[in-house]
Amino acid sequence: MTTNTHANPTPGQTPGQTPAPAPHRPPGASRVQQQVDILRHELALYGVLVRARVRAQWQYRSSFLIMTSVTFIGLLGELLALVLLLHRFDSIAGWTLGEIALLYALASISFGMAEMVGAGFDLFPQVIRRGEFDQVLLRPVSIFTQTLASDFQLRRLGRIAQGCVALAISVQAGVIDWTLARLLYLPLVLGSGMLFFLALFVCGATLCFWTVESSQLINVFTNGGTELATYPLPIYHVALQRFFTFVVPTAFVSYVPALFLLGRLDGSGWPRWSVALPPLSAAAFALAAFALWRVGVRHYRSTGS
Amino acid sequence: MSDNTSTHMHTPPEPLIRVRHLRKHFSVRQRGSGSGLAGRFARGTREVRAVHDISFDVQRGEIVGYVGPNGAGKSTTIKMLTGILTPSGGEAVVDGLVPWKQRRDLTRRIGAVFGQRTQLWWDLPLIESFNLLRHIYRIPEERFRHNLAHYREVLDLDAFITTPVRQLSLGQRMRGDLTAALLHDPPMLYLDEPTIGLDVVAKARVRTFLQTMQRERGVTVLLTTHDMDDIQHLCSRMLIIDHGQLLYDGSVDAIRQRFGGERTLVVDLDGDHADDVPLIAPGAVQVRADGPRRWLQFQREQTSAAALIGHVSAAYRVRDLTLEEPDIEGIVRRIYEAGTVGAMPPSAQADA
Repeated sequence: MTTNTHANPTPGQTPGQTPAPAPHRPPGASRVQQQVDILRHELALYGVLVRARVRAQWQYRSSFLIMTSVTFIGLLGELLALVLLLHRFDSIAGWTLGEIALLYALASISFGMAEMVGAGFDLFPQVIRRGEFDQVLLRPVSIFTQTLASDFQLRRLGRIAQGCVALAISVQAGVIDWTLARLLYLPLVLGSGMLFFLALFVCGATLCFWTVESSQLINVFTNGGTELATYPLPIYHVALQRFFTFVVPTAFVSYVPALFLLGRLDGSGWPRWSVALPPLSAAAFALAAFALWRVGVRHYRSTGS
Repeated sequence: MSDNTSTHMHTPPEPLIRVRHLRKHFSVRQRGSGSGLAGRFARGTREVRAVHDISFDVQRGEIVGYVGPNGAGKSTTIKMLTGILTPSGGEAVVDGLVPWKQRRDLTRRIGAVFGQRTQLWWDLPLIESFNLLRHIYRIPEERFRHNLAHYREVLDLDAFITTPVRQLSLGQRMRGDLTAALLHDPPMLYLDEPTIGLDVVAKARVRTFLQTMQRERGVTVLLTTHDMDDIQHLCSRMLIIDHGQLLYDGSVDAIRQRFGGERTLVVDLDGDHADDVPLIAPGAVQVRADGPRRWLQFQREQTSAAALIGHVSAAYRVRDLTLEEPDIEGIVRRIYEAGTVGAMPPSAQADA
């Protein structure tokens, strides 16, 4: 972590001065304990700050309710179009309605959760443009936590709800042969999908440290990525498939998890151990994004813009 | 990352801020002047010396004014002293810490108010911002309650403490921001244009508050401002910066006598007056004329404004009179034109 690991170097506080409030670290605490303490503090703060955001949004609750329902209804229309399409053609690349709906659900729910939690990174260009980032640097909380907690879009529940409808369609169609492994696998891949999209938001925010104008660029991958993740991967050109597998691993948000959940892994060309790839690739991608973010912060602090 | 510079202070009294040869150079990418692709992407970089070789100390309990024209390097200096910016060279220690290396430790020992921005939560009632800051700074419950009660009283916050910040007036918001900056008891307070945009009453209130904080709590203040009144009311000492270099470091009285002594009386004469007939008044010189409007410049030591006004209105038919004090920009300009003052290092020519 950053430089906060020094054991509170204040031996010579001049008498008569109001002492700086001591961070609550027991004097003999080990480094590990300190880190754990810091981490716990950051998590607690995340909760406090997010609750404040939610309270702020709840002040406009009718606006919130309208926005959420409008999003939900709009997205439901999208889903309906898909249902009608499949009603007409029965299947896309050998995938039936129930199966496509599962892809849809995985992409939508994980993207919706990421949008809700990571709105602070999504709106980061504004923070930079308004010069509010300096304020972030003046507080004794990690820059990452502060940015993550700077916004929380409750109204993204609309997209999550739509994803849940898609999931219901899929379950209703009986395409998933539920086993305990699959039951546990579903929340795992939703979580890693969310982590993947969060990492994308972080990458997008990081670009702002160099140029605010590029902020739309990342939408190609976020919005485009969800769109892409809605359909079976093989319908795309091979180059596109490779890009979204190896460079920006969107394939692991919906397609690969769906292969396992639907029992289609055999004969798909993907080895059986691919089931482990969604969480692993998301974790790797998130680590890379975080490293990039730190480079961005360092750049900001040396250029101030 | 480890550094050993933070600990061990030697000779008391150690200044709260110690700055030595601090530099911040930016390289600005210049777009080629030529047309077409080759021209646009021709990469030239130009070095801008935002802050160039600045040294000063700030003692505990001082209120120091930091002034200079826009773009002189004030904000860049403050950003380095708060740890936001990493300097290109030189040293600085604030309350025993190197700001850019120990930024997060330093945040607990400094408070900052940037006049045009707020650190309060825009959509929430003011009191909620304070509660959030209590968590952020981990202020012990007892201390928080005590401090908040104190500021509620001194700054009269109760009337609007449950109002959402976005609905506050500028003056109310500034009072909220000052409280927010001081809740965690920092010994050091940075203020960037704390009175900008405030009305006369609100300005006076902020000044009185800062004086009280200095007197009763020993808070040290470094403030940038364009308002000469801020300096006069608050600061015993001022630093003047231009083109990234310190031009003056000394008492406010000394500078006023030396450079701020010239005041101007603007006289609007009644009736027709030819431009070439200058006003004659003892101790004053007509420096400009525009039809019936005349500008008389006079030295503080030579004549008082009252005497001059008395004389002019006795000798001429006067419609209106205005007294102009030299503004800080003017003083700074004059000092810059005069070169450096006092024991400052000679100003190397900044690059154009």
